[in-house]
Amino acid sequence: MAMDLPSALHRLAHYRTHNTRASRQIFEAGAVVFRNDALGKLGDDNWQFFETLALAAVDVGRPDITEECLRHLSAQFPDSPRVQCLEGILKEATESAEVALRYYQALLDADPSNVAAWKRQISVLRRLGRTESAVEELSKFADTFYTDVEAWLELADLYASRNQYTSALQSLSHVLVLAPQNPFYVLQAAETAFTAEDVPLALRFFLMVIDMTDDAETDTPTPAGITVRAWYGVELAAARLEAEPRLGSQSPSNTRSPEHLSKLRKLAQDMIQAAGKSAQGAEAEASSAWLRR
Amino acid sequence: MSGRLLLTVATILLFHATFSTYEHLSHLKALGRPEGSLPPSSLVALILGILGACLKAPALKEITWASEMKTRTIDDMDARMGFANFVTRAKVLGEDEPSS
Repeated sequence: MAMDLPSALHRLAHYRTHNTRASRQIFEAGAVVFRNDALGKLGDDNWQFFETLALAAVDVGRPDITEECLRHLSAQFPDSPRVQCLEGILKEATESAEVALRYYQALLDADPSNVAAWKRQISVLRRLGRTESAVEELSKFADTFYTDVEAWLELADLYASRNQYTSALQSLSHVLVLAPQNPFYVLQAAETAFTAEDVPLALRFFLMVIDMTDDAETDTPTPAGITVRAWYGVELAAARLEAEPRLGSQSPSNTRSPEHLSKLRKLAQDMIQAAGKSAQGAEAEASSAWLRR
Repeated sequence: MSGRLLLTVATILLFHATFSTYEHLSHLKALGRPEGSLPPSSLVALILGILGACLKAPALKEITWASEMKTRTIDDMDARMGFANFVTRAKVLGEDEPSS
């Protein structure tokens, strides 16, 4: 995919601010930057660029490029914990997991507060399938560094992968305390609550997402983005509460279910239909077919 | 376009007003009457300058939190880069050279 220099630089800046993991595109954009000798144009950002490129190169399967970037970085920042963490990632990709674990353990013995090394250690443990030790280490990490949202999210993901949805919901509640204005995490909590059979809580969270993401200015809003997903959630939760009323009274979190469930469900269906109309082709057919289920 | 024109005209008028004030006051000083009032052209230049700057202002940007969240995706928010797994099949599958 041909890319010229300004669009490559623009993409790299966009990925950096949005924390996107688009390794193939970052790798190609990096190739364009090198081909045009445009390192000077990045100015102070060029070390960040090297770090991003190193990670993207490992993801794409080119550890040679990673070594090259690491050489530049370690020449500029000797003894930096970030660079050591990158070297650890390279070891993970090129050598066996035990070598990487020993490396991280050595880093942690030297400096027990090395956050990056601890995170990588937990990641390796998870990849090896040692989920009990991963959960244990991650719980210790999250208790030590409470404000690290990423850790709580990873813990929730770890629990959800083992179908322990109530524990996942508890981790997500910490996330909600730490980042209360983020609708994405509320959506994740809503879907986890729904899977954990706490349907009134799920319905409440879905409605919170809609409240957070809806622009109050337009009179007839057509939902877009995650609002559509939240409306699907409202429809599902309201349908389930109508079908099984015992779920409404047995909520583990003692959440009351709303009164006008049928009206809420009708509203959700209207919203989904509106969103489906504005979509094209297959998506519109799929949403209308699902509504008729 | 008209904003830029107004702004240019206002700047030129301001320079002219400054110069003419200086000339006028030094003329009065030479005549021994160091009184003087501000010429009206500088006031006109100020008004024109304000108008031009307002018209030339760039489009307003969104500042609400909700509008910022609309630009994000679930994959970005859930990336968890500190814990990401970098050992993929890409090493084994080999890399197809990107075109150009």
